[in-house]
Amino acid sequence: MDWLDAFLASGMRFTTPILLAGLGGLATAWTRDLNVGLEGIMIFGAFFGVVVGLFTGSSLAALAVVAVLGLLCGMIFGYLITVLRVNVFVAGIVLNVLGAGGTVYLLRSMYGVKGTLSDPGIPPLPKLHIPGVEDVPVLGGILSGHTVLTYLSWTLVLLLALAVRHTVVVRHLKAAGEHPAALATAGGNVTWMRVVAQAWCFALCGLAGLQLSLGQLTLFTEGMTSGLGFVALAAVIFCRGRVGLLAVMSVGFGLSSAASVQINEDVMPPQFAQMIPYIVALIGLIVLARTSREGATRIATPVMES
Amino acid sequence: MTAVQTPAEERGDTGRRGPWLRLGSWRDRLTSAGFVLVAGLLAAVVLIQLEGYAPLPTIQAGLEYALGDGTSIARTLAWGLPLYVAAIGVAIAFRSGMFNIGAEGQVYGGAMGAALAGAYIGPLFAPTHLAVVVLASALVGGLIAAGLGWLRAVWGVDEVLSTLLSNYVIILFCTYLATGPLRDPTRQSGTTREVADTARFGEILPRTGLSAAVFLVVAICVLGWWLSERTVTGYRWRMTGESPAFASAVGIDVRRSRIASMAISGALCGVAGGLLVAASQGRFWTEIGSGIGWDAVLVALIGRARPVATVVWVTLYCVMRSAARGLEQVSTVPSELSLILISAIIIAAAARAGVFSQFAALQRRLATWKGR
Repeated sequence: MDWLDAFLASGMRFTTPILLAGLGGLATAWTRDLNVGLEGIMIFGAFFGVVVGLFTGSSLAALAVVAVLGLLCGMIFGYLITVLRVNVFVAGIVLNVLGAGGTVYLLRSMYGVKGTLSDPGIPPLPKLHIPGVEDVPVLGGILSGHTVLTYLSWTLVLLLALAVRHTVVVRHLKAAGEHPAALATAGGNVTWMRVVAQAWCFALCGLAGLQLSLGQLTLFTEGMTSGLGFVALAAVIFCRGRVGLLAVMSVGFGLSSAASVQINEDVMPPQFAQMIPYIVALIGLIVLARTSREGATRIATPVMES
Repeated sequence: MTAVQTPAEERGDTGRRGPWLRLGSWRDRLTSAGFVLVAGLLAAVVLIQLEGYAPLPTIQAGLEYALGDGTSIARTLAWGLPLYVAAIGVAIAFRSGMFNIGAEGQVYGGAMGAALAGAYIGPLFAPTHLAVVVLASALVGGLIAAGLGWLRAVWGVDEVLSTLLSNYVIILFCTYLATGPLRDPTRQSGTTREVADTARFGEILPRTGLSAAVFLVVAICVLGWWLSERTVTGYRWRMTGESPAFASAVGIDVRRSRIASMAISGALCGVAGGLLVAASQGRFWTEIGSGIGWDAVLVALIGRARPVATVVWVTLYCVMRSAARGLEQVSTVPSELSLILISAIIIAAAARAGVFSQFAALQRRLATWKGR
């Protein structure tokens, strides 16, 4: 059963960035400003995680700085889309391209490196080994030996699930999306809610990127997010605002990513294995469109007026 | 026919978000272009200053490299040829409300189709072979996009996400072909066999890389503009894009418009990939596209999917890109500068209306404050 252990453990590892980015995107889906730039934020998070990690030598400092930077950038992004009325879809697409180009630019101008930045000074995220559970066959791989961010992501799932039921903030976020006029009448601040959702999204996506660069590989490579942000976006769209469903979707995508790594080259060429998560997402998208009552939901629409 | 409601429509407040780029008169357009260019220039100055160079002389050196003499202009243009075709393609889809973000994958698919047609068919009489190559690339790109368009039109599968995801699937599949069954056994890396000489556009200016493909590109740009702006088909597509409900009410077959516009869009993106093979590289290799599809999406966005504006912006972008490469030679500023600039320009263009109205509000507030 060793392979099952390895498979589940790597499934958990792959789930973490998807789940974190998905939880971030979920808030923006609530306010109906779905951020399609998850991919771009993740790659920036991965990069700045490595930069701060190299500078301070502490991965926890990197975690804190990336989260704060994410909050700040998210507020700027929120200002752009609310007050300056930049179309959120356009801004998201630009963010993706900016992430791909900007990190290469920074990598070359800051370190003179093209391709991969790997250095023994990059601190890996600490991994928690839970005594006792660690040696239990299947459960050990699932529950123990992951980075702090994995545990953080599942804590957030629980907290958010509770928050949806019991807090006003989530209700206000949803109202800002569904019925802004009602929220404004009730004394809420629509603009502020939309900004908060973007700040939350940026912070979590930054951490998702950090999980990739400091949690899994301890290096930074150009384009290292390789579409994980889009897979997370797919998860956000499938779950339709429900936290539990998002977690299930993320685990599904995480397991299919894990499968793509575990599948032996004798069984199928590596490129086909790498396609698995994207194909799963595509099939899911088709199934969603075929089964949902109101048909397909448009994820984002730029208004193209003359 | 039930029109898919957009989030903004559901909220019944289409005005809240506002148009992301509204342009009226020529004066408006000029102010807007000026605002946007100043924003881009500012970003360039700041970034170059941060690298520790004097901004203006450095920018001038870059522009010299891009536009200094005939040879440099030809080189700049030669690089941009595929981008013109891809950007027109993306713009045509955008115009009919189909957000074809899968241009990158379609470019790769088209390049693979062209490389195969060029290497495994022929050698033929050169014009025939070139036609076969271009048609093969158009067919591959068009089929991919038409399939996704069909999913959107008939089953309602959101094309924004499906085209995004298709990029990865197609690029991985092409990588598989180039590293596996179709790999050139005499070469180390993942490339296909070199195309026959008859499948390559001849250079019209020696040592600049500017090939006869430029005529094809001009023809495609003109045809694209004519199709989108001057034909009945183009009108139907634009109606579909602006209001699918209205379009179907006046008897336009929305499904057909959507599928056809996606097919044409994908075919043009495929031809862009074909040009990469037939006009410059001569074979498919695993990183041949290098972001041209994404550039096309950005340029089509900033050109508001209007063919003429898109062509103008492609030209500007080519100059920026070439200047950035020139900069890289005289300084240590990485050439990815151009990507950052175009991003800044798009955001500035999209924020322009908002900035102006904020500014006007500030002025009003100041005026009332003075009046007190």
